[in-house]
Amino acid sequence: MAEGSTTVMKTPKDVAIAGYGVYIPRYRLPSLEVSRIWRGGEEAPPIKKAVAAIDEDSTTMAVEAARKAVKMAEVKELGAIFVGTETKPYAVKPTSTIVAQALAQHKVLASDLEFACKAGTEALQLIIALIGAGMIECGLAIGVDTAQGRPGDDLEFTAASAAAAYVLSKRDHRSIAVVEGASSYVSDTTDFWRRSGQRYPRHLSRFTGEPAYFHHIQSAVKNLFEEFGYKPSDFKYAVFHQPNPRFPVEVALRLGFSFEQIKPGLLNPYVGNPYAANSLLGLAVLLEEAAPNDLLLVCSFGSGAGSDALSIRVLDGIVDKVGKGRNKVKDLLKAAVDLDYATYTKFRGKILI
Amino acid sequence: MAISYWRRRDRYYRLLGNKCSSCGSEYYPPVYVCRRCGSESLVDAEMPNTGQIITYTVLREVMAGFEGQQPLVLGIIGLDNGVKILGQIVDTPPEALRIGSRVKMVFRKIREEGEAGQIYYGYKFTTL
Amino acid sequence: MSRVIVASVGYTKVGDHWDKSILDLAVEASKKALKPYPNIKPDVIIVANMFSSQSSRQEHLGALLANALNLVGTPAFKVEAACASGGVAFNIGYRMIRSGEATSALIVGVEKMRDLDVPEVSLALSMAESAEYTQFIGATFLSLNAMLARLYQETYNVTRDELSAFPVIAHQNATTAEHAQFRKAISVDDVSRSPLVSDPLRLLDCAPIGDGAASVLLTSDSVIDKDEEEVEVLSSKISTNIFSLYERDDMLTFSSTKDAASKAFSEAGISLSDVDVLEIHDAFSVTAALSVEAMGFSKAGEGAKDAAAGVYSLRGRHPALTFGGLKGRGHPVGATGLYQIAELWLQLKGKGGLNQVEGCRVGVAQNIGGVDTTSVVSVLAKGD
Repeated sequence: MAEGSTTVMKTPKDVAIAGYGVYIPRYRLPSLEVSRIWRGGEEAPPIKKAVAAIDEDSTTMAVEAARKAVKMAEVKELGAIFVGTETKPYAVKPTSTIVAQALAQHKVLASDLEFACKAGTEALQLIIALIGAGMIECGLAIGVDTAQGRPGDDLEFTAASAAAAYVLSKRDHRSIAVVEGASSYVSDTTDFWRRSGQRYPRHLSRFTGEPAYFHHIQSAVKNLFEEFGYKPSDFKYAVFHQPNPRFPVEVALRLGFSFEQIKPGLLNPYVGNPYAANSLLGLAVLLEEAAPNDLLLVCSFGSGAGSDALSIRVLDGIVDKVGKGRNKVKDLLKAAVDLDYATYTKFRGKILI
Repeated sequence: MAISYWRRRDRYYRLLGNKCSSCGSEYYPPVYVCRRCGSESLVDAEMPNTGQIITYTVLREVMAGFEGQQPLVLGIIGLDNGVKILGQIVDTPPEALRIGSRVKMVFRKIREEGEAGQIYYGYKFTTL
Repeated sequence: MSRVIVASVGYTKVGDHWDKSILDLAVEASKKALKPYPNIKPDVIIVANMFSSQSSRQEHLGALLANALNLVGTPAFKVEAACASGGVAFNIGYRMIRSGEATSALIVGVEKMRDLDVPEVSLALSMAESAEYTQFIGATFLSLNAMLARLYQETYNVTRDELSAFPVIAHQNATTAEHAQFRKAISVDDVSRSPLVSDPLRLLDCAPIGDGAASVLLTSDSVIDKDEEEVEVLSSKISTNIFSLYERDDMLTFSSTKDAASKAFSEAGISLSDVDVLEIHDAFSVTAALSVEAMGFSKAGEGAKDAAAGVYSLRGRHPALTFGGLKGRGHPVGATGLYQIAELWLQLKGKGGLNQVEGCRVGVAQNIGGVDTTSVVSVLAKGD
């Protein structure tokens, strides 16, 4: 490679996570309910997906998660707010400005991003870049979705709702974890898509595996490893995008991780796939398991397609900030009320009136 | 309604009431003149976002604009600073409602102007 | 100062008047009131109404009615104070005559509710409450009174059947009231079995929706001799409360009614035991109970219990809702205050028929807007 060039994104000064917040709705749709309606009740993978209530949407969940993150970070001013989502309540009108108003922030660069399930990690990277460049002191990155699957489609088993928000700032003694660097990999690969004006997305079937999910995650992670000189055993834990229970396990093993390293982050059976919140939610769970000095790997995947792989080192600040009388993500997973299919369709506006 | 909502969105999003600089009384909704001491010296103040249920009801006949939202659970909540506020109570089965239950404020959709109009957000409460 | 006489009254039946517009109803009631005195051209016309803009897309009701009655040139205007519009309009007419500003006044309350469907009526009624904070979150008037009812029951240990006593009295009296909307008696079991509309309130706890108009012709004693047979207005007082129920420290005291009542009784020179007939604002069962408590006829927490014990029945110590009240006669909101006056007039003139309270000489009308946010208490008497 040419002198001075790099395919891994690092910032001259350390940028760290100052706080985070997760919001998972209370309601769950068991996959057996989808199967009962559409597949004659045949066996379904043991998944319960989180479903937003009728008065919730990506904006309300983003605000809830953001408020928790800002509270943990104990910051008063934000320089930028990015919301990554593919289920914006308004096709034109940013969710990020509503989040900004709810946080009483006006002097912010605010925008919404779309890149399917990786829009959350993108938001994170852009905030890191702004802080690293000295353009802002701290910023907020949110990944949120009220993901939709076409009724009866395979995706309906897993397409779920949740939000995860991170406040980042220049590293200081209270920082929870520092983002060492990130590597992104994209290609024009249309494995899953939604045309403008269409209610539900479409996807190819087996193609979503190798050429899409696996190729992009493996490419991004390998590039990150090469640049940093890392191997899997350097990491305490890893979390990969989890569209279903199997893929993240398969890609982890292929990359040389052990099951023990990824086990704590496996959430799909309890929450489904909340799209842009997926990897950021996984990261939050890892932070709650980790100890100072642990190295964590997060790698997202967004259809269309691309992956962001991030290397994150846990700092001493984690001890004070995480789990101190706060509800852990695992507790949010537990506070669940099962829905029947009819109520779920009412909540998620799937009944045409 | 878009403009009258916009005008008050900080009030709705942040439980932003006001406080009398003279005697310290707090108000939500905000007042123009302090009811306790008559002072007009009032400053914006966020209310605490936790409290308890003082009374409640499950409304089975909603007004126009709230179609599809019935039954609607409403309560008068005593916030931790003594201010009483009216709000919907969500994610709680009606049979679990109790006078005295602790609640916290959440950010939710209040209503939408149909499929093409604006979305109105605001505060509601859930039981802890 | 002039003495103010209630010269005559006129009113329509309360109900679903599909074939009558808001103006049709107002004219009908007005003509009935004006008929006995064809030589009196009122010095002022006051129309009481809450939501003509919602129900009929019509405002400017004062001039509209003046024209319809062929009284062009007469000062005319609309008065609005939510469900207290009628009482307030009456109060203003009374004051204009008392002060000598006018020698006669035609006061007409009218409401057209049935042209709207129920959710739209709920929305219109919710304008009596804060649009920005109460209406905005979908809290209807019914829901506020329901929360109040729950608090009332919890605080004072009032049972379901005790709370049902006022609706039962109302319906009982309405059976023999020709202008009443509902003329069927109900039992406490009927109330308990009626559907929950906003717990703990059931359908039969709540005044119905209906159309109607009621009119009163007031004159000074310079126009009509104040003899023993005439009904005189001894006093009328308006008060206001902290706007929303939940903003008040004590939600269970109707302090606006308490204030208006004490001033009205004081000016009229009467005590509670002088009151022979009570037309109170029983929009909901709990509202009736809190109203009598605020006026002092019952102790705090005992209004419903006293009703259950017969205190407010037609043959009781303080006959109330003698033609059915809001619950039985009906509640076309802007008109209600004037129906109350008309009914007191019937009683005091001995024209109560089967609903007559024997030997009554003093009547009190209490009309509120919002949850006791505005309250008007008026005292009428016959004889000296």
